[in-house]
Amino acid sequence: MFASLFTPSRRRVIRRRLVQAVPVLILATLVVFGLLKLMPGDIAITLAGENATDERIAEIREMYGLNRPFLVQYGSWLAHAVQGDLSKSLASGEAVAVSIARSFPNTLLIVLLAMTLALSIGVPLGLLAASRPDSALDRTVTSIASLGIAVPNFWLGMILVSWLALEFGWFPATGSVPFKDDPLKSLHHALLPALALAAGGVAEVSRQLRSSMVEFLSSPPVRTLHAKGLAPRQILWKHGLKNVGVNLLTVATLLFNRMLAATVVVEAVFAIPGMGNLIVNGAVHRDLPVVQGVVFVMVLVVITVNLIADVLYTVLDPRIA
Amino acid sequence: MTQAPDSDTMFDALVTDLPVVDATRLSRRELFAMLAAGGFAALLPGSAGAQGVPNAKRGGILRISGQTNPSSMDPYTGGAGTDHTFLWPVFDTLVEWDYATLKPVPGLADWAWPDTKTLVLTIKPGILFHDGTPLDAEAVKFNLDRGRTDARSNIKADLSSIASVDVTGPLQVKVNLSRPDTALPAILSDRAGMMSSPKAVTALGKEHDRTPVGAGPWKFVSWADNQKISVRKFDKYWRKDRGFVDGIDFAIIPELATGLRSVSAGQNDMMYAMPPRLKPVVDRNKDLTLIQGPTVYCTQMYFNLARKPLDNLKVRQAILFAVDRDAFVKQAFSGIGEPATMQLPSSHWAWDKSVSTLYPHDPNKARALLAEAGFKDGVDVVVGGYSDQDAVRRGEILMEQLRQVGIRLKFINGSIPEISAQFFGAEKKFDALLAAWTGRPDPAMSYGLMYGKEAYFNAGRVEISPELQKLLPEARASENQEVRKQVLGRIQRLVMENAAVLPLAFQSELTVVTKKVQGYKPNLLGKPKYEFLSLG
Repeated sequence: MFASLFTPSRRRVIRRRLVQAVPVLILATLVVFGLLKLMPGDIAITLAGENATDERIAEIREMYGLNRPFLVQYGSWLAHAVQGDLSKSLASGEAVAVSIARSFPNTLLIVLLAMTLALSIGVPLGLLAASRPDSALDRTVTSIASLGIAVPNFWLGMILVSWLALEFGWFPATGSVPFKDDPLKSLHHALLPALALAAGGVAEVSRQLRSSMVEFLSSPPVRTLHAKGLAPRQILWKHGLKNVGVNLLTVATLLFNRMLAATVVVEAVFAIPGMGNLIVNGAVHRDLPVVQGVVFVMVLVVITVNLIADVLYTVLDPRIA
Repeated sequence: MTQAPDSDTMFDALVTDLPVVDATRLSRRELFAMLAAGGFAALLPGSAGAQGVPNAKRGGILRISGQTNPSSMDPYTGGAGTDHTFLWPVFDTLVEWDYATLKPVPGLADWAWPDTKTLVLTIKPGILFHDGTPLDAEAVKFNLDRGRTDARSNIKADLSSIASVDVTGPLQVKVNLSRPDTALPAILSDRAGMMSSPKAVTALGKEHDRTPVGAGPWKFVSWADNQKISVRKFDKYWRKDRGFVDGIDFAIIPELATGLRSVSAGQNDMMYAMPPRLKPVVDRNKDLTLIQGPTVYCTQMYFNLARKPLDNLKVRQAILFAVDRDAFVKQAFSGIGEPATMQLPSSHWAWDKSVSTLYPHDPNKARALLAEAGFKDGVDVVVGGYSDQDAVRRGEILMEQLRQVGIRLKFINGSIPEISAQFFGAEKKFDALLAAWTGRPDPAMSYGLMYGKEAYFNAGRVEISPELQKLLPEARASENQEVRKQVLGRIQRLVMENAAVLPLAFQSELTVVTKKVQGYKPNLLGKPKYEFLSLG
């Protein structure tokens, strides 16, 4: 079954994308490394403790190799990273790979749940609006969508917490439970943050879907379908969805990548120890290995998601390959 | 003076409600039974045990919302002032302090001064580390030597007065000093006095940072960075009158409003270091109790005495007269805190009343001083500040207060490490810095670190006064508390007369607990300990 999926043309796509991924990965980590170095402040001062003397700070800098030239430091990090060694946090000594292995599932769960919510609510809403353009229903859906985009997710998160968690006690207010420990409890914890994250997504999916569907429904082929005597519902769900599939995939891919970034704020509101939390703490403490590790993994994830999307494009529309 | 030590009254009630027992009338058997139950400790005034909560309920896991990931769980290699609250449960200290005054009291060891350059520590018998090895003289020597010499030790400066450490008995250590240092007992109540198992340190090396082995009431179990730290009861802990809960789980939640929500929702039992601005949230929730206590944490403005215009004493004095500290506490800290008139709060053992009245709020005098200094039309002062919400607010309040006498503050804000390094470090940016001093167990440490000629926190590295320079070592020369108090009072007076700093407010330690948390008592250091706490 999978063999048929990987046709020679698709293999070409994958190969091309993988080759392109290498410079992207290097550039992204180099830029972040550079930005961190440009930022004022010095982790050596933090590491040296409260009563530190200038000599002690210099000693720490020497001990951790923080006084080496910029490119030497980056090169050393990269050489280890490509071998799978993301080194240890300067601030706490925990292996970065361990921190990421613990944090990433928390973030991924919220993002996947938010994606599921965004698509399962956004797609029907978009189709509904498109089926009766300019009706009261369409205007209502569009208004809700505008509101969804306008509302900041951290604010929505706080409202959800104070209402559903603190007032009614239906959901936990903070924290997360690893999915492998207790799937149900894990989903219970993840639902509120996912809702907060999904609001903008629902809006985006429904609006994009509506506009491309309206465009499709007013195109000549649809007239033919009507002439063939197909029911409007069949035209919308079967032919319509297939035609706007490429658009929807683009929206979904962009949304996924953006949600990964948006978790930074949502994780803070819900005290979820995820990737956002990790990178913020790393950046605040100038903990280079942590920030680099998170960026490295996030770039890999984005590249992978884009790769999957590229393959799916060719499935949805073989002309693309 | 704003002081509402709710918790103190609560605590006093707890102690005084107990039946009064005359220890001299007890039979030996009864006495030992009481000792075992921890009740006797409450009868000994002045001992650390007097701070205990006898007959507290045992058991349960205490869940705490903590605010920052510790820098290390090894007391000697860590650096952040926020680490202590994670370290106290795992590590007992050689010396402890009285919660209310920070006066040193015996901990793992008693101490004596045969002469001013010799400190003898007598370790209490039968104490074990969590790995079962004994906490004896060899272990204490190992720790102190490690603190003094290990390349990764961050406490070398604290122990710099120690020349050598000799084991003079199975449970006795003689600490030989290169100069008199009577601040040493207080120093040994902090990081330096936290004893780690020599066996574990040797075997684990750097890994001891993440898997510490101490001799505290709870042993370390796990630490997931920025997420959770767990400790569990150590069954062979040497004291029975403390360490009541079976374990503590710290959830690390840096966003403080979120941390408070976790307590409101019942997911955690307590949260420490709550900012005053969140007080209304607690007031609205009848299931939560706010415990408040003074601390030595002082919000203050540091001056660079080597830069114009603050090299002029009259300009500095004008600033001190121009500030209305009561209004500052009201506006910046919602009225929760103590206006600071010197480096110590009024409840501290070394507080000096005569110094506290040197600078009343007097705008006219400030204007006159400014005119005398040649700044009749006002003066511009560039101040480094921090960019977080609360710090910016403090800056704005001060800016407005000083503007009224013609002192125009211009703030340049940034992150804490960045701005403080630019001010204290080699760059010597800004005339002043609006920040804080977190306090030290002994005032001599604070003064030495801030006002010594070469001290890092003396940004201008100038000699404030020859007499002050001479008094700094003297503050560590006598072991007599009264003598020390006098010397420290003299130092405080010189610091304030020279207007070397603008103390503004002592922050109150605000702790929120749910109804089931009992026996929590804040301490003057403002770094929570959980040894007397129980879950009802």
